[in-house]
Amino acid sequence: MKETNDILGKTGRNDGIAVPEGYFADFAARMTASLPVRPEIESESTVLAMPRTPWQKIRPYVYMAAMFAGVWCMLKMFSLMSTPADPLAIESYPELADALGDEQFVKEYVVEDLNQWDLMDELIEDDDLDLSELPMPDSIDSESIHNLPENFQ
Amino acid sequence: MSVISTEDEQKLTERLRQPGQCRDAFGEVVRLYSEPLYRQIRRMVPRHEDADDLLQNTFIKAWGSLENFRGEARLSTWLYKIAVNEAISFLDRERRRQSISLDDQQQQLVAQIEADENIDGDKVARQLRQAVAMLPEKQRLVFNMKYYDDMKYEKISEILGTSVGALKTSYHLAVKKIEQFFSGQD
Repeated sequence: MKETNDILGKTGRNDGIAVPEGYFADFAARMTASLPVRPEIESESTVLAMPRTPWQKIRPYVYMAAMFAGVWCMLKMFSLMSTPADPLAIESYPELADALGDEQFVKEYVVEDLNQWDLMDELIEDDDLDLSELPMPDSIDSESIHNLPENFQ
Repeated sequence: MSVISTEDEQKLTERLRQPGQCRDAFGEVVRLYSEPLYRQIRRMVPRHEDADDLLQNTFIKAWGSLENFRGEARLSTWLYKIAVNEAISFLDRERRRQSISLDDQQQQLVAQIEADENIDGDKVARQLRQAVAMLPEKQRLVFNMKYYDDMKYEKISEILGTSVGALKTSYHLAVKKIEQFFSGQD
């Protein structure tokens, strides 16, 4: 190591590198002249960012809203396409549809099953009927209706 | 390596960031750093013509990526890093182009130093360069920066991305190998 230190001491950190005369001055001139133009860093105008217009500011949000609306419409469409027929639709009950289509059945059903309150409604709609003269039983049944005074029948 | 004070280097870095001044400031960078960078490259690549090309590439790359230099590292460290990478890439390319091994390339470098006409100094200086050329690439870089440029380990660590401990070991090994080289010369 001592021998190495002696050698390193002898060289005095001189690397012995020589260059042609005036090389560095010439190099600097050559280099600066050959540097390519870079407007992105050299131009003042490109450094200053242009102010954003209102549309540019809201545009991402508008696009995002449109995208969500599109997704919602698509899901809705798929939902409608895959839903079975309405369970309350008359077509779902062919027997009932047949019955309601039969006029005789409807007439009999209405007449036979007409209750007293429906009948009272019918009578009240009659303008000639004076309700104050109408005897009001505790409850109205078929017998009460048959016993009404003659002018009410 | 630092040819200007830290304060002046910061001022120069600021000017490099100003659109209206960056070209002039870079011209100053070229004037200030071309010699130390050239020497660093030339210690790795013996031929002057190759070193000249690599020095140009170093500045072209620095100019081309100036916007990426954020001033987190020192300007000289950043430039040194580019120059070292250029030199290492050149040696790799040459090795592949000539299809030769690392050992063969080292012998070639020694022969080039021997034949180099652009060399000053005495026989010992030339022999020392030949001894350094025989070192592995990493040890060669560390030795050059530490011995010739008298750079601090912390700065070498920033340039090479190696820990200070590893650099000290590399330098120690390099000195040992140079010692062996000179023992063999006797």
